[in-house]
Order: sequence, then C-alpha cells, then structure tokens
Amino acid sequence: MTEWHVDDELATRYSGGALGGTAAASVEAHLLACERCRGSVATAVPEERLRKMWGEIAEAVDAPVPGPFERLLRLVGINEPTARLLAAAYSLRLPWLAANAVALLFAVLAAGIDDRWGLLWFLAVAPVLPVAGVALAFGRGADPAYEIGLAAPYSAFRLMLARAAAVLVTSAGPAFAAGFALLGRDWAVVAWLLPALALTALTLVLSSRFEPAPSGAVLSLLWLAGVAAFAVRDEPLAMFGTAGQVTALTVVLVSAALLFLRRDRYQSEDSR
Amino acid sequence: MNTVVVTNVVKSYGRHRALDGLSFTAGPGVTGLLGPNGAGKTTLIRMLATVLAADSGTLRLLGRDPSAERLQIRRRLGYLPQEPGFHRAFTVFEFVDYVAILKEIVDRRARHDEVRRVIAEVGLAEVSGKRIRALSGGMRRRVGIAQALLGEPELVLLDEPTAGLDPEQRLRFRELISRIGENRTVVLSTHQTEDVAALCGRVVVFDGGRCMFEGTPEELRRVAEGQVWLSAERSGVLSWRTGEGLFRNIGQAPDAARLAEPTIEDGYLLLLGDAAVGVRS
Ligand SMILES: Nc1ncnc2c1ncn2[C@@H]1O[C@H](COP(=O)(O)OP(=O)(O)O)[C@@H](O)[C@H]1O
Ligand SMILES: [Mg+2]
Ligand SMILES: [Zn+2]
Repeated sequence: MTEWHVDDELATRYSGGALGGTAAASVEAHLLACERCRGSVATAVPEERLRKMWGEIAEAVDAPVPGPFERLLRLVGINEPTARLLAAAYSLRLPWLAANAVALLFAVLAAGIDDRWGLLWFLAVAPVLPVAGVALAFGRGADPAYEIGLAAPYSAFRLMLARAAAVLVTSAGPAFAAGFALLGRDWAVVAWLLPALALTALTLVLSSRFEPAPSGAVLSLLWLAGVAAFAVRDEPLAMFGTAGQVTALTVVLVSAALLFLRRDRYQSEDSR
Repeated sequence: MNTVVVTNVVKSYGRHRALDGLSFTAGPGVTGLLGPNGAGKTTLIRMLATVLAADSGTLRLLGRDPSAERLQIRRRLGYLPQEPGFHRAFTVFEFVDYVAILKEIVDRRARHDEVRRVIAEVGLAEVSGKRIRALSGGMRRRVGIAQALLGEPELVLLDEPTAGLDPEQRLRFRELISRIGENRTVVLSTHQTEDVAALCGRVVVFDGGRCMFEGTPEELRRVAEGQVWLSAERSGVLSWRTGEGLFRNIGQAPDAARLAEPTIEDGYLLLLGDAAVGVRS
C-alpha cells in the first residue's frame, strides 16, 4: 500500500459530501483497501447524516410499492395520501374494476342485439354498477379498519365522498365511453347518467343510518323493478324521458343538500 | 391531572342499559377496566374513543368535551378496538401506513419513519413486509397496538388487548403495555384479574354498567381481607377446591376454617358475588 492515508480533514470533507467526483473516487478506492481509514471516515460521519442515510436505505427496502390503480391516481394528479386511501377500497381495486368492465361489456353487447329493448338493458344496468361500487367502498361491512378510522382525525365523511367520487369516475366513465363508442351518438345512450347519480347519492344519504351494502342492494332492486314496470306498462324507454330525468335531478339535488346538512352524522355512531 | 373524567354516564341500547350511571377517572399510567362479559367495557371504551356518545352524563377527555371538540381529541388518541379489522391483503407496513394517513401524517417520509418506529416498538420489524393474513393472532394483535401508538398519542385505549393470547404472548404484551403506560394514559379493558395485578396502577371494577370499585390493585385485594377462608367443607356462595384439597371460601367464616391471605381475584369475586346475590343493589 502507499504511504498516503485519509487524514481527518479529508475524512470530514468526504463524509460531509464536500468532495468532488475524482477526489471522492480515489478516497473510496483507498477505503476499500485500508481498514484504518475506513474507521476514521466512519467516525467522521455526522450523526445526522448517518441517520438520514439509514432512513434512505430503510425507505428503499420497505416502503410500500403502490399498485397499478394507485399509480394511475397519482398520474392524474391526486396526492399520495389520498391515492392510498382511495386505493384501499375494495371497489377501487383491480378485481372489482375488472368485474365492472366485464358487466359493462355484457350490457353493451346486449344493447347491440336489438335497438329498443337492448338499449333499455344497457340503461338499466349502467346505474347499478356505480351504486354497487359505492356500497362496497366504505362503512363497517366493507372497510375492515372502519372502527379505527372513525376514531382517527381524518374525516369519515370526506373519505366516503372521495371514494364515491372515485367509484363514479371509474365505473360511470367507462360506461359513458362505451355507450358513445359502441351504441352511437344518440342522447339516449347517456340517459342513465342522472339516474346513476341519483341512486348513488341516495345510497350515501341512507348510509348515515344503515350499512351501505344493503341500502345499495335495495335501491338497485327498486330501480330495476321500476324500470321493468314502466317498460311493461308504457313504452320501453318511458322511465328515461324528460319526466324521469327531472325526477332524477331533483333526487340528486335533495340528496346533496341532505348530505351537506347531515355531514356530522358520518363522523361517529351517535345517530345510529 | 386526570386525562379521563367520566361522570354519571348512561348509555342504552333499546331498553337495555349498557352503562347505568357510570363514573370514574383515569390519569397517567395504566388503568384497567375489569368486569365480566357484558359489563359494558366495550361500550365505555368506544365512548372514550369518541365513536359513541352518551345518552346522558358527561365525559371529559384530555380536558375537552368530546361532543364539542371531537377532532382535537382524536388527534391525541390511540385506539385498539376489541375486534380490530385489518385489510388482510395489506402488509404490516401498508396497513399501519394506511392508519397513519387517517391520523393526518401527510408527509410521506415522516409518515414512513413513524410507521417504522411503531412497528419496531411492538417488535414486528422483521415481519413488516409480510401480509397480515399470513400472521398469527398474537402478531396481528401487535399490529393493532402498533397503529394505536402512531403519532405518540397522550391517551391510548386498548379493548381487551390480551384476550385469546397464550401465556407467553400474554407476558410479552404486559411488558409492552406497561412500557407504553410509562409516559401517557393507557386505559385497557380486561376480564382477567392477572392482567390487572401485573400491569395496572389503578383498577375500576364494574358490572351491569355500574362502577363497583375504583382504586389500586392492592386496595382491590384488601376488599377481601378477613373474608377468605380455607376449610375442609364447602361453604357460602363462592367456594372452590384448591390444589391442597381444601376449599377456598369467600364470605362468612365456615366452621373450623383458617383465615387466608386474599388475592386480587378474591376481591374481584367478592365484589361480583355480592352483585350476583343482590346484597349491594
Ligand atoms: N350495538 C349493540 N346493540 C345492542 N346491545 C349492545 C350493543 N353493544 C353492546 N350491547 C349490550 O350492552 C351490554 C354491554 O356490552 P359491552 O359493552 O360489549 O360489554 P363488555 O365489553 O364488557 O363485554 C351487553 O349486554 C351487550 O349485549
Ligand atoms: Mg367487550
Ligand atoms: Zn489508509
């Protein structure tokens, strides 16, 4: 070995990160061979910097890897903590999103078979998908950490709304696109949109008192029964006419007002 | 300073009174809520966790009123429910991290450091990358405690943290909990007198939603002083055969009996036994 060693001053500059490329590289080459200097560099590393380095190593080793949906959320600009909270919901994970897409595909295929009844089939099913997704996105039955979350400072009401919005986008979005792309540019292919919003909003309103899953199921059944009854009595698309749309819009507005006024009831179990 | 002050709290489910005018206080250290199943322990702890409100009576938590300042209390609270749910597909780290977000630790690096800290504190550092569904019951319980420690809460509520653990795990839990209680208020519920003896500085005994005793474990033990007898014959309401072939009787002295040193369990049984035969009520 050479007579050259890393003196105290050099050790401090190196461990403080103040040395440039070549100088640092030659120090490192020497350190590999010389145990004495390794010791002196190690003691020269400030505690704070060592802690930081250790933190970075730990972070690289065990920080959770976001799933595909969470990455997508980040991509569209949703911040990291919110993306994590959203992606934890059952109906915002891949299996559900896939099932949702399959159901939609069948509805669209059915709609293609025959213009009147087929379209009815699509319009009836499209609102049920977001309702089912929302019903499985929060609440004691669907969220395993519900009780812990209720006692945590993050607002349970806000979490519910955020997840409902995410579900609406992920299930109504594709339905919207599929309707236009596969069924033509007729206004009728989006006639399910307001009913979908109305049913979803009602599910949220009811969940201040009841579990979202059964509420969603009951509302969906009522909806399907209503569509069927109208279709049999009048004309297949009767429920989606102007009167139907106005009713749906009214339900949306009233529900939104109720949600806002009763928002505190979602933060604890006091009202159940 | 008392962290928890409960005064005359009543809570009913339909016609059933789960808490019937309960009062007690708890300060720094470990306070045990001791009572049989159905005594109202979970109902009370959920109230302390601001999840449930009282029908009547008052609560003060960390010097605040939970009906008016819930959020401020929640920011200083750690809570392990009796049956905590877990996202089973999450790893330990992911689950604790998820709760950390709910606890408003927004910055990712700071949050991850805090998650690492609490996981290490309950001794799960080695399995932090494991999925929760692959963990044993005792380990899951520790995950539950870890999340309750996030953000260094001043008030930690643990509902039956030792239930269903084997003796060795139970011992490690007591160690962990008494360490947690060194610098904050811990309120835990249990139906095991050994837990109280081993780790509580104070104990509140209650049954049927009423407080029957409040004091130190030693004071609970002395409740049965002069009322525990060893004899050859069974006598009184509470008596059972011990390892030495004698009967241990709590209550009035049977014939030819020898006075015995009471244990905490004797005190507890005496309190509950009185309630059972209606002496006190
Ligand atoms: N959600 C509820 N609905 C109806 N009764 C309940 C409910 N929760 C608890 N109870 C009743 O209240 C009493 C106290 O229950 P709990 O607080 O769980 O007691 P513990 O935790 O001491 O076993 C029991 O009689 C129980 O049946
Ligand atoms: Mg209980
Ligand atoms: Zn050297």
